[in-house]
Amino acid sequence: MKEQIQEILEEARRSIPSCESDKDIEELRIKYLGKKSSLSDLMSKIGTVPKEERPQMGALLNKAKKEIAQLIEQKKVVLHEKEDTSRARGLDVTMPGRPLTIGAKHPLYQIWEEIEDIFINLGFEVAEGPEIESEYYNFDALNTPSWHPARNPQDTFYLKEGKLLRTQTSPMQIRVMEKFKPPIKIISTGRCYRVDKMDPSHLPVFHQVEALLVDEGVTMSDLKGALDSFVKRIFSADTLSRFRPHFFPFTEPSAEIDILCINCNGKGCKLCKNSGWLEMGGAGMVDPAVLEEVGYDSEKYTGYAFGLGIERIAMLRYGISDIRKLVTNDLRILMQFQ
Amino acid sequence: MKISYNWLNELVPTHLDIDEFCEKLTMFGLEVEEVVQLGKNLENIVIGKVVSVEKHPNADKLSLCKVDVGNSEPLSIICGAPNVVKDILVPVAMIGAKLGDFEIKKAKLRGVESFGMICSENELGVSDEHSGIMIIKQDIEPGTPFADAMGINDNIIEVDVTPNRPDLLGMIGVAREVAVMLNTEYEHPEITFEESEVKTKDEISVIIEDSEKCPRYCARMVHGITVKPSPSWMQRKLIASGLRPINNIVDVTNYVLLEYGQPLHAFDYTKIKDKTIAVRTAKDKEKMMLLDDTELKLHSDNLLITDAEHPLALAGIMGGLDSSINDNTKDVIIECAYFDPRNIRASALEYGLQTDSSYRFERGMDPNSLIEVIDRAAQLMQLTGGGEISSGVVDCYPHKIEPKVLPLRVSRANSILNAKMSADEVENYLNKFEFATKKTSEDTFEVTIPTFRPDIEREIDIIEELARCYGYNNVESYFWINRIDNKQKRTVARLAKNHLISLGFFEVNNMSFASPDDLDALNISDDDFRRKVVELANPIGEQFSTMRSTLIPDLLKNTALNLSYKFENFKLFELNRIYLKEREDTFAEPTYLTGVIVGEFYPFYWKEEQRATSFYDVKGVVESILSKIHCTKNITYKVSNQPYYEKNSKADIFLDEKKIGSCGIIKDDVLKSFEIKAPVLLFDIDLSRIIPLYNEKDIRFKEIVKYPPVLRDIAVIAPSDIEVGTIEKLIKSVGPNIIKDVQLFDVYTGKQIKQGCRSLAFNITFQSETSTLTDKYVDKLFDNIVNKLLREHQIELRQE
Repeated sequence: MKEQIQEILEEARRSIPSCESDKDIEELRIKYLGKKSSLSDLMSKIGTVPKEERPQMGALLNKAKKEIAQLIEQKKVVLHEKEDTSRARGLDVTMPGRPLTIGAKHPLYQIWEEIEDIFINLGFEVAEGPEIESEYYNFDALNTPSWHPARNPQDTFYLKEGKLLRTQTSPMQIRVMEKFKPPIKIISTGRCYRVDKMDPSHLPVFHQVEALLVDEGVTMSDLKGALDSFVKRIFSADTLSRFRPHFFPFTEPSAEIDILCINCNGKGCKLCKNSGWLEMGGAGMVDPAVLEEVGYDSEKYTGYAFGLGIERIAMLRYGISDIRKLVTNDLRILMQFQ
Repeated sequence: MKISYNWLNELVPTHLDIDEFCEKLTMFGLEVEEVVQLGKNLENIVIGKVVSVEKHPNADKLSLCKVDVGNSEPLSIICGAPNVVKDILVPVAMIGAKLGDFEIKKAKLRGVESFGMICSENELGVSDEHSGIMIIKQDIEPGTPFADAMGINDNIIEVDVTPNRPDLLGMIGVAREVAVMLNTEYEHPEITFEESEVKTKDEISVIIEDSEKCPRYCARMVHGITVKPSPSWMQRKLIASGLRPINNIVDVTNYVLLEYGQPLHAFDYTKIKDKTIAVRTAKDKEKMMLLDDTELKLHSDNLLITDAEHPLALAGIMGGLDSSINDNTKDVIIECAYFDPRNIRASALEYGLQTDSSYRFERGMDPNSLIEVIDRAAQLMQLTGGGEISSGVVDCYPHKIEPKVLPLRVSRANSILNAKMSADEVENYLNKFEFATKKTSEDTFEVTIPTFRPDIEREIDIIEELARCYGYNNVESYFWINRIDNKQKRTVARLAKNHLISLGFFEVNNMSFASPDDLDALNISDDDFRRKVVELANPIGEQFSTMRSTLIPDLLKNTALNLSYKFENFKLFELNRIYLKEREDTFAEPTYLTGVIVGEFYPFYWKEEQRATSFYDVKGVVESILSKIHCTKNITYKVSNQPYYEKNSKADIFLDEKKIGSCGIIKDDVLKSFEIKAPVLLFDIDLSRIIPLYNEKDIRFKEIVKYPPVLRDIAVIAPSDIEVGTIEKLIKSVGPNIIKDVQLFDVYTGKQIKQGCRSLAFNITFQSETSTLTDKYVDKLFDNIVNKLLREHQIELRQE
């Protein structure tokens, strides 16, 4: 009986792997494992075996049955895999799906929105103002002396009617302070204009974001903190900033803001002209004269203001070296900002 | 905490009507949850005296009573209660009285007339007791209105006492708070009584074994007391506060609990073995039978009051059955103690025993007011039950709990509240709270916090009290958001931009300058508003000599540029200001949204034939933008006369009859001027006119209509000059509330259709919000549509 079992097993081992279809495999299943199979037949004859060999024979039979059943299952899996690929003939999953093209916001406006959102999260309101301004709001109210070169037509665009195109978003500070009492916590954003020839670092039309906070007890620490929070969010958490004394008519003390060069980390490179620092914009404590001009008590209230160029931030963030790339509207550029 | 307004007014006259008072109380930090006006529903209910009781002739369980209600003749009333007997005082609901929704009328019960009803406590809303009629134990003239007799003409103020304020769990604490609130004084009860020769300490000894769990224990003795109902004034207050009068001894402990917030316990002296009271923790598995007949198996964390042998009470939670007061009690020990709140909380939780007593001990009582409280209880016991008060209090208080002393800076308080309180003002507030003050400098006080205020632990806690006195409503509000913020514009711009980007548009950014030639290239006429250009005095070049009055030329220039880079199909938009000269010295800077679709609208797809782009593609874009920014109402489209569009492919967009933009296919000669060799669709919208209308809050949920819609198609032959919009409007007008939607789904012109006409097919959705539409009704509406189309525009139903 032992030999018979072995024989059946051998045969099954040969025939199962070579069958081709579900039908063949089912026939084999019936042949080896069905009720009338030779293994079942042997099982029924187990009584004829000497008593002491019976357990051994039973175990052998079961083992053989188990192996054959396993072989059949494995073969079924193999057959179905084959079937899958054949059924899928005609599908090529690498072919492109229906194109649903998406566009992109202009990189400058992406950064603009990001900047707005940072300040909104810091509790600032966003104020917009006219781009066509009066000399009063753009210069006089901002404590700009009459001799200041910024007032020259070589620097500022004037309209035939005598108004001008704002050179900064600061006039909005005055307009807001005229209308509302402190506390004031705003940013003003938008287009500004200066008479500049277009070159890799200048455009006659550019965008600014300017922050103004006026309240009791505002200190220069608040200013540094706000700027630090901002540069760390817009660049990265380890961006360092520094204040450098400077002159602006409407702030006192005034400073220029630098950040440690994000390209070389201060070691000196082409981007930072080997200085290790990148100039970001101007800042300072609001000049008491500006506060008095809008009728605030400059003893009671203090404030800070700072202004940043949005183009400058966008260029640094994206690694754009020529500012004019931001107004060419070339799809080869725009498509990179999806 | 239930506060009887009458009682409160005895302690601190408020001179305020109830609504005004409750408003003030809430704003002072004691939130009023509910005010119940007692006696409101007790009209026509009077005190009656049962003068006779007979059996009802026809019913075993009913009694026939004669009740004197102060009139010349007693009333005949049938009563079913088992406890009705002769000579008791009862509440009688007279004819016309209302108990809830039930009005008392003359009734006939089993053949005998009844002229009223004798009520249970439950029926009067006094308590839940309903096993028998209410028996009034005071001596009251029959006929007295029940509400007056019981003192229930009162308002009960339910106050949500925060867990940090155990001092407000008694009337005196509330009166103190109200006195601060109203800047007035309140009255403590006057406590005077005579003590006998016998010394309490000779009669009873107290041993505290665990002084951590029980820092102080006081006891007093009253001898020869008579147990009886307590006087009506006391019963009234108990009832008003939600407690049921039982007998004078129990009532006094409850009354003092209500008055001081401090729980008391009374033991029957004769049941105290060896005249000894011990405060100790339980032995493991020690058993004790509580007042409510439950047996506890205790362990060593439970604190007990015991005599020489047996537990008398589970400390601070519930007394035991064995030592409780009964009608024969003559000699009473009054217990007044301070227990550690944590231990009481743990034990109460463990055995599920939330009692008036545990509720208060858990929150922390005042260890230093126990003598006053126990004296008050002794006084009232003597007053209500006679007897003699032994001399002195046995006071076991091993380690005195001293009041905290905290520093307070007036300037600190002022800076936190942005207030300008003077030091005197601050001192006055604090003294009203009974915080003793010692001025240590111009700006600082040493404040002694009485032990009834365990919640005050730091300077800031004192400042909170000052804030309440100063008045939260008086704190100035610095308001700085939403005065200036351009949220509306920002939101609309971002929605529109994001939407266009999803449709495949790229945003461009052009400078604001323009050449005067640009307008000519668009064929813009001299009287067009865009000719009112803003000119620069010092431009950087002729092609930059004006401010742009339209975004179209720049977009067409961007188009030409990108076509030159071999892009064939693309979409661009710009959202920016244009600049217009309004009058001599005034300028406008409206925001425009302008876009172009260059080449094919849909990108090439290998699976399908390229679909020809048409005017309707750009119109679809416009419609989707407008719906994204909630601007769909009152929008109409009319044929445009803008000079830069193809003849048959242009529309102006109107909002409330005002032109806000246009869309169409750009004319060939314009394309030529800009050197563009591809079809260009354009839309140009004045966003400034839409922005002010945008309101993100105008989305409101509408309940889904539960009646199913009915869908019908209609195919008509219409003269070609009749616009689809006109037909849609006409169809809707047949049933403005029922016809929810009309959608064009087929347009056909051809051989079968007569000359000058086109076949139009619409899908109509009928739906009612109030009922399921029947076929018959929809058929009728459908016929009305057919008739109206024919009558008004000679539009015929298409015959298949």
